[in-house]
Amino acid sequence: MKLFPLAWGYLRTRALLLLSAVAIALGVAVLFTVLAVMNGFLQELEQSVRTESGDAIIEPLPPRYGGGHSLEDYKIALADVPGLQSLEPRLNYYGLVGRRGARALSDPRSTDLSGLLLQGKENCPPWDSPNTSLPPLWIGKQAAERLGLLQGDSLEVLSFQQQGGKVATLRATFQIAGTLQSGRFDHDLDRALVRRADLADILHHDPGFSEISVRGTADVDPLLFTEKLERALQTAGISTASFPLAVSWRRQAGSLLRAVEDQRELLGVMFFFIVLVAAYQLVATLTLLVTEKRRDIGILRALGATPANILIFYVALGGFLALAGSVLGLCLGLWASNHLETIEKWLGGGDSLFRAEIYHFDHIPVAVEWVSAGWLVGLTLCAAVLFSLWPAWNAARLQVLDILKKR
Amino acid sequence: MSNVPILSAHHLFKTFTLGGDSLAVLKGASLDLLAGKTVALMGASGTGKSTLLHLLGLLDSPDQGTILLDGKEVQNLSQSASSKLRAEKVGFVFQQFQLLPELSAFENVLMPRRLARGSWWNRRKQEQERAKEALESVGLGNRAKHRPTQLSGGEQQRVAIARALISQPALLLADEPTGNLDAQTGDEILQLLLQLAREQGAACLLATHSAAVAAQCDSTFILKNGELHPAP
Repeated sequence: MKLFPLAWGYLRTRALLLLSAVAIALGVAVLFTVLAVMNGFLQELEQSVRTESGDAIIEPLPPRYGGGHSLEDYKIALADVPGLQSLEPRLNYYGLVGRRGARALSDPRSTDLSGLLLQGKENCPPWDSPNTSLPPLWIGKQAAERLGLLQGDSLEVLSFQQQGGKVATLRATFQIAGTLQSGRFDHDLDRALVRRADLADILHHDPGFSEISVRGTADVDPLLFTEKLERALQTAGISTASFPLAVSWRRQAGSLLRAVEDQRELLGVMFFFIVLVAAYQLVATLTLLVTEKRRDIGILRALGATPANILIFYVALGGFLALAGSVLGLCLGLWASNHLETIEKWLGGGDSLFRAEIYHFDHIPVAVEWVSAGWLVGLTLCAAVLFSLWPAWNAARLQVLDILKKR
Repeated sequence: MSNVPILSAHHLFKTFTLGGDSLAVLKGASLDLLAGKTVALMGASGTGKSTLLHLLGLLDSPDQGTILLDGKEVQNLSQSASSKLRAEKVGFVFQQFQLLPELSAFENVLMPRRLARGSWWNRRKQEQERAKEALESVGLGNRAKHRPTQLSGGEQQRVAIARALISQPALLLADEPTGNLDAQTGDEILQLLLQLAREQGAACLLATHSAAVAAQCDSTFILKNGELHPAP
């Protein structure tokens, strides 16, 4: 504070000092943007999994392993679990489909069959088509585009089922009632929604569900909630400790979420090195300034500045440059995070660099996390202060007479 | 004015080692400076005038001898303690002005007050007023915002005088303050320096080669063979 005008004078007249701040700003901006994208991935992935699964999924055992309980049995068993809001039975089954107009397995065009996860759910979009008796199917948007399917097309689904020790072929024809777009590219590519009752009829499935999605009230902790569900199932004799049936949404997508979390941390560490290198540049910049401004140091010492005053002045100058660079970097990073699609197109010369097939999402997810930003600024400041100490120490150790005599 | 000296230097010795050879610059120099009195320090080049000023200004320590400033021994203070004492009690005027080029005349004058003890924030307004008055006292009230490069040599030395006197130091040390100025400007500067030093009651020691300059001081000492002798 005491030597602020001198610091301001140096900043005004030395572009090199400002370049150091700009270097830090660029490092901080890149890291901020990378963290925002990785946080976006994680948040949207979590949201997607949670929307899909609910707070927990119960995966019943098949009858031959002691399962075969009815939906009513589950409802009774779980009725007293605190925070329970709803149970939704679902029937999932895999099928193969061909391109538009192809009949699976009996048409040359069906050699490239695509696998689809048929999700039989209770809550499907409204469907009222008096012109057909075919059951409706809502197909993922990406799958529809890839297979050339349009609303109103009929689609033959081929599947297989074990019947009396043999594998039997199942054929079912649906009518495309519409497309679904979840935002998850992989889901939109390999999933289709059908009415659970329709699928149960086709599969002759009893009890008509292969999993139960459980939702709790907004305040439940998913992990504790899942534990309570499992305890209730065990108390009712539906599951055992050695074969738990309730799985939390987090455990269900555990490996994927863990991979993204690990990648976020790894990228954070790697990109922080860019910030460190930028901050390290302060050593060179301040050393240059100390050499150039030896006379000023001598004058200040003659006027009564203590070695500590000089040390603090140079450390504060380094800290200020880092702070200015960090704030500028945060602004740049925030702008970049909000204009990623534009930047992506500019970098790719009009083409998209972000491949939805690889990254699951059909857009670049972004979530700014200010706690991470705070850590980033804090660590940058610490690094800058650390790197400023050496030139500052050298400046403080200069002997006033040596400087004034060499004028 | 009191007859108790502001500064008393007794038997100062200082030897420098240059390229393995010892060079004894001061060999028992002694001096008393009284408040409000101006003393000229003369001597040939290389006799140790600047060395003596550095010792008395606490920029260096003697090998032997004592220096009493306001009655306290100060010759062996730490760097930090001597810096603080310098900020409070000693003003310097250098031959080459030694202004900070990035600062305006006003900020240069204010700098010793910024470095003084105590919270700058609490006293900033009165200190700024003080700097303004100091600049006005050297006739540069209208050049406050100008940087040293925008001022002439004489004006720069006026700023340096204002800076040296803003803290109302007990001791003012001037090392050939007119050495870089033409005769007329040098004379004006000298008059100003001596007048302000006397007005403030500072003990002033002024190193010079010029007998004309020395003649305007209250007394003169000559440094010869490492010792100080009163001029006849």
